[in-house]
Amino acid sequence: MDDYRFTRRSLLKGAGTLAALAAMGGIPEDLFASERMVRFPEKTDLQLLTARPPQLETPLHYFKEMITPNEAVFVRWHISQIPTSVDMVSWRLKVGGNTDKELSLSMDDLKRYEKVGYTAVIQCSGNGRSFFEPRVFGGQWKNGSMANVTWAGARLKDILNNAGMKAGSVDISFDGLDLPPLSSVPDLIKSLPVDKALDDDIIVAYEMNGRPLPMLNGFPARLIVPGWYATYWVKSLSEITVLAKPFEGFWVKTAYRIPDTPCGCVEPGAVPKKTIPINRMTTRSLIIEPPSGSALQSDMPVNIMGLAFSGGYSIKDVIVSVDGGKNWGEACLGKDMGRYSWIQWSYPWKPERPGKYILMAKATNSIGESQPFEGLWNPAGYLWNKVEKTEVTVR
Amino acid sequence: MEKIIITVLILFLPVRLVYAEEKDVKQIILPNIQIELASGAGREKVQTLCNICHSVDYITMQPAGTKAQWTATVTKMRKLFGAPISDADSEVISSYLAEYYGTASKR
Repeated sequence: MDDYRFTRRSLLKGAGTLAALAAMGGIPEDLFASERMVRFPEKTDLQLLTARPPQLETPLHYFKEMITPNEAVFVRWHISQIPTSVDMVSWRLKVGGNTDKELSLSMDDLKRYEKVGYTAVIQCSGNGRSFFEPRVFGGQWKNGSMANVTWAGARLKDILNNAGMKAGSVDISFDGLDLPPLSSVPDLIKSLPVDKALDDDIIVAYEMNGRPLPMLNGFPARLIVPGWYATYWVKSLSEITVLAKPFEGFWVKTAYRIPDTPCGCVEPGAVPKKTIPINRMTTRSLIIEPPSGSALQSDMPVNIMGLAFSGGYSIKDVIVSVDGGKNWGEACLGKDMGRYSWIQWSYPWKPERPGKYILMAKATNSIGESQPFEGLWNPAGYLWNKVEKTEVTVR
Repeated sequence: MEKIIITVLILFLPVRLVYAEEKDVKQIILPNIQIELASGAGREKVQTLCNICHSVDYITMQPAGTKAQWTATVTKMRKLFGAPISDADSEVISSYLAEYYGTASKR
C-alpha cells in the first residue's frame, strides 16, 4: 500500500479509476469512505460520511430540480441514540419553563394551530467544509448537505403565545428525541433568543413536501428557522423551554460558533479572539450543469444552469463567467418561490473553440451580500460560500 | 338492536387494534455498516473506545492531521464530549491516528 499517496482531492477526481482498482483489491476500502453509497430507511442512495450517528450527503444531480425529494434530503445527526421508533399515541411536544401554563401537545393538538408553509433551503453549517484550505476537521461535506424543501406546520409564535411567556424571558431552548450514548456526553439542545423565536416565519413543521417527515429528517416534527443554518432546526422536537436566563448549553455556548468579525472569518490557522453563535446563512451559488469534468462539443449550445440562495433575502442577480472570471454576463433567473427558497438560474453558452474552460457563478442578494473569490477561513469550517470553479473540456 | 351492535363491536375490535398499532407507531431499522481501520499498534483501543460514541468513519473521513491535531481532537472528545478515555489510552489513540490517518501516514 505504500505506493499509494492520494490526497482526498485527487481521490475524488480519480474515483472511477480507484473504484476499478479497489475491485481488483489494490486500494484499502476505507479510502473510499466519502464516496460510498448507502441506503437508509425512507432514503434513496446517499453518500456515506458516517454511519453512527448517520451523516449522509445528497448527490449533486438532485439539485437540478427546484424541490429536493424527501428521500434525497441529506441526513445529519450529532449524538448516537437517534430515534428509530416513535409511538404517535404517546408522543407529545412539551412546552413550559417561564410560561403561564405548560402544554403537552399531541400531533392532533399541533395540527389545530393555523397551518403555514413555505419553501426554504435547509443547509448544514458545515456544507462545503471539505473545500477549506487549510483543511479542517469535522464532517467532510462537499456541497450535498443542503436541500430545497416545502415545509408546513404550526407557527412557533402561536405555540409560545398559547403557553403565555412570562416577563423576563430571554432564550427559548429546543430539545429532540435523540439522546447521548453516555451521561457525560452533552445532549443536543439548541436555543434561540426570544426576539428571534417570535419571528412569524419560524414553524414547528410536521410536513415535508406535503408528506410526514422521514424518521431520519426529524419525524414527527422539527423546528424550521428559515434563513438560518440547520443546526437550529432541531429534529424530532420533544421539548420547548422558555428560559428567564441565557441558555448555557454546550451546543450553543461551545459548539457551532463563528468568529465575531464582519466576514465570520479569521486568517487561516488563527484562533478567533471572540466568537458568536452561528446564525444566518451566507449567500451562495452553485453550478449544477454541466458537471465539473464534463466533455462538451464545440459549436454545440449548452445551457449552464444552477441555483442560488441566501440567508433570507431574495437573490437579486447571478453573474456567470465562462473564462475563469475575466468576463461576466448576467444569468436568467427562474421562478421566484420566496426569499427562503433557492432560485434556479440559467446561462446559454456556445463554446466555439476546443480547450479547457473554467465556469464560474456569483450571486448577490437584495441587501448586497455576495460571494468571495477566495475561501474565507474559520476553524470549524462553517459559512462556506466561495465562488466555485467548474472546469470543462470542449472538443 | 343492541345484540347487533355488540356483535359488530366484537367483530371489529381486534382488527381495529391491529390497525391502530400499525398506523400509530413509526419504526425504522438502521443498516449495519462496518468500517475497517488500518491495522497497527493501538487499533484495538480506537475500535473499542471511539466506537462507544461514534462509528470510526468519523476518523477515516478526516483530512490527514498532524500528531498535535489528533491529540487536540482526542482531548476535545474527552474534555468537551465526555469520552471515558484515560491519559494513557489517549496517548495510544493519538499516536495511532497520527500514524495511520495523519500527515506522517505511511499509506
